[in-house]
Amino acid sequence: MNQILVIAWREITRLRKRFGGGASPVAVIVLLAVLGLSAYTLRDTVSLGSGLYRVGVSGDVPEINDSRFSVLEVNQAEGQNLLAEKSIDVLIVNADVFSREDDKSQFAVRALKQYMEKEELVRVGNSFAEGDAFPLRVGVNYLNAAQPPVTGDAGDSPPQTVKPEEVIIPSLTPPPAPFTQVLVALIYIMPITFISIFFTSSFMDEKANRRLTILLSAPVTPFQIILGKMLPYAVFALSTTVLIAYLTNGSIPLALMIFAPTTLFIFAIYLMVPLFYRSFKDTTFIAMLVTTMTTAYLVFPAMFTNSSDLAYISPLTLAVKMYRAEPFGWREYLLPSLPMTAIFGFAMFAGTRLLNEEFLMGYKPITRKIGDAIYLMMAHSKPWFAVMLWSLLVIPAVYMAQVVMLAFATNLPVGLILGATLLASALIEEVVKTVGIVVLAEHSVVKSVREILWLSFLSALGFLIGEKLLLLVSVSVVSQANVSGALFGAGVFLLIPLVAHFFFTAFVTLLRIKLKFPYWLALGIGTVIHFFYNVYVLRGGA
Amino acid sequence: MIHPFFAVVKKELGSVMKDRTIIISILIQLFIASFSSGLLLGMLSLYDADTIMRFSGAGIRIGVVGDASAPLASLLTERGLNTQTFPTLTEAQSAFYNGDVLALVDAPQDANGLIEVKLYLPDSDTVSSLIRMVIQEPLKQYENVLRAERGIEVRYTDLNGKPATSFEFVYSVLIPMLMFFPAFVAGSMSIDMITEEVESKTLQTLLSAPLTISGMVGAKIVAAVFLAILQCSAWLLLMQMNGIEIQNQGWILALALVIAGITSTSAALSAAFLQDRERSQFIYSLLLLAGVGLSTGLNISPITTLSRLAVGDAYTNGWNVMIFAAVFAGLYFLLLKVSRRLMI
Repeated sequence: MNQILVIAWREITRLRKRFGGGASPVAVIVLLAVLGLSAYTLRDTVSLGSGLYRVGVSGDVPEINDSRFSVLEVNQAEGQNLLAEKSIDVLIVNADVFSREDDKSQFAVRALKQYMEKEELVRVGNSFAEGDAFPLRVGVNYLNAAQPPVTGDAGDSPPQTVKPEEVIIPSLTPPPAPFTQVLVALIYIMPITFISIFFTSSFMDEKANRRLTILLSAPVTPFQIILGKMLPYAVFALSTTVLIAYLTNGSIPLALMIFAPTTLFIFAIYLMVPLFYRSFKDTTFIAMLVTTMTTAYLVFPAMFTNSSDLAYISPLTLAVKMYRAEPFGWREYLLPSLPMTAIFGFAMFAGTRLLNEEFLMGYKPITRKIGDAIYLMMAHSKPWFAVMLWSLLVIPAVYMAQVVMLAFATNLPVGLILGATLLASALIEEVVKTVGIVVLAEHSVVKSVREILWLSFLSALGFLIGEKLLLLVSVSVVSQANVSGALFGAGVFLLIPLVAHFFFTAFVTLLRIKLKFPYWLALGIGTVIHFFYNVYVLRGGA
Repeated sequence: MIHPFFAVVKKELGSVMKDRTIIISILIQLFIASFSSGLLLGMLSLYDADTIMRFSGAGIRIGVVGDASAPLASLLTERGLNTQTFPTLTEAQSAFYNGDVLALVDAPQDANGLIEVKLYLPDSDTVSSLIRMVIQEPLKQYENVLRAERGIEVRYTDLNGKPATSFEFVYSVLIPMLMFFPAFVAGSMSIDMITEEVESKTLQTLLSAPLTISGMVGAKIVAAVFLAILQCSAWLLLMQMNGIEIQNQGWILALALVIAGITSTSAALSAAFLQDRERSQFIYSLLLLAGVGLSTGLNISPITTLSRLAVGDAYTNGWNVMIFAAVFAGLYFLLLKVSRRLMI
């Protein structure tokens, strides 16, 4: 523990020197002022459709103050001309609005409608008594459709509602959409990502000037080095979580509980970047890729809070729930948190195995580097144990990869979404099940057909156990999500999927190791067969 | 013999191709583009009343208590909702529990001068939020009817138009993002290329070639900008193949080129001052943020300029691009002055 703290302190000193040193206070103040100013202008002016429409106004028209519109003062005749020659999209003359039939003009009218609606509400609200300006109250009640009330003799009893009535004024109460709360929840993620980029930079800096080598020769374990370097950043990241929760009136303990696994997850991913990079350009690209993927993974499901239970795979959903003061249970909490924490554990394990000079300094193609990394992780234990554990442990990563794939696939034409997702998930599954065995064979740890078959069986078994464990957690939460079932092949009989997994794994590994097929080709063939098997299962064949 | 300047350009392009890093960058852009349009699609199908009505409007059956010709009932029907009227709430309730209707709207009642409407929704989150989404517009219209009864006139209520979200997304988010993301990457890459030479101490060796330090930095910027333009052209082509109409394509490419030049030059400037990757990348990101903010504040945002060029705005043309070209020239001049700092 002491070692870890020493390394953590060293890290803080390093940061202080780097960023505290030569920077002149004037430059810092100027930079902060510029940033503050730009945040201010951006907050007010950036919106969807910024600058797209031109509006001509003439006569008594309310002031149009919206970044989507550029306003042109014209007289009526001139305005009609401009409208006809498509120089402006809409012309407003007093209370009348003129437009053209084409799309752009019609889009402008819709945007104008949204804006004017709001403006008119403000005007009406300011100039009339409240009861006249907002004369309608809507009481929203919820009924349990599955449970009709026991009909008594009193014919006109009030309906039995399941929640207290919520009274709204339609023009002032937008329909419930979690979008704003998702944005608030996203505010938590941004500092964590930013801080973890510094964590990555620190590793890279030490790798570039070879100080890491010196550190590795000191009497500390790689585990202590990683944890020690991570500690200050993690503490800093969690304090931003506390600060944001405090500023946004969220519950601080709950926010910490929700975002601690997320923080660990993001740090885990960023720990991989310095281990694998070869040049500075690599880092920039890998870091960008990682940032987009994690943001997508976190944000996309949360958009569907309350619309689909699948939303719970993202911790942001829990944060949205927190802001709406809606309760959630342990299962809902564990569904996003468990895989993230598991990935952190896995990354820490990988990190301790890979943090050695030979691996860090080697310049090889990235695929080769990944192969070496997998071998280093497996080499310390017996092959049978390593292969099975590998298949079991990568399940959370597979799960996340498949979710990202699903988000990706929604962009395809509807008919192709399911097919593309199935194909991609078959590929991911085949990769994780076979890669360990293939790497072991390359290092001549595995040779005979019997060994390959035996390891394929164990790999399939490990994968199946992990898959079913995850399914157990998710099915209890994600009751209506057929997608999860499709991705993970929710077969009732465990034997059939086990045989199938074994067959695909053995097939791919034998093609690669014994028949010397290129790995990509063997994988491709295995994936296609796996895909057809999945389609067959989905059609109700098994 | 190939000029040393182009030799450096070629070396940088070669290393990008060899490392396959550019593939990651293209993957990211493809992902962001499809992800954001997927997000839009998802959001529209859940949060946009028009989209909901188009896809499942007929399936939303609403029981209305009272007269079918009452204002609220007719507004609901006009919206395209499938309404069914019942004389009493009790009858409407049994229709609800039989599954004939999904939601109930009770007859408006006078309550101390205010009008009160009771809405009964199913306990399912998904269905009830969809219904609240589509019922919002008729309720607002009904509010206007009630205001008119009280002698309050609300203007501009007859506007309609076409749902603009997709249009606004494509022209104000998607196209600018695809055109400027490569520029952003070009800046980061310039820092990587320059600081790598400094930190691995290969700069002096490189300068033993007949090439000045400005020439070396310039070559790296040219390589970065070249890659950016290549990506932008590919995106323009792809978007057109997808049926997105883009006007002023020449000026759009010119603007993307100038912006990539500006980002790469500012990146090189921060590398020249700070010499190491960690701080340079940090300051570069902050500068970028500040640049976007300032240009928006001064009303010359490159994002808006690009959107306007793409939709074929009548008042936007090559002169707007020239403003940014002038900024680029200024920054590059500054870089020529300070690039010697890298040799220290």
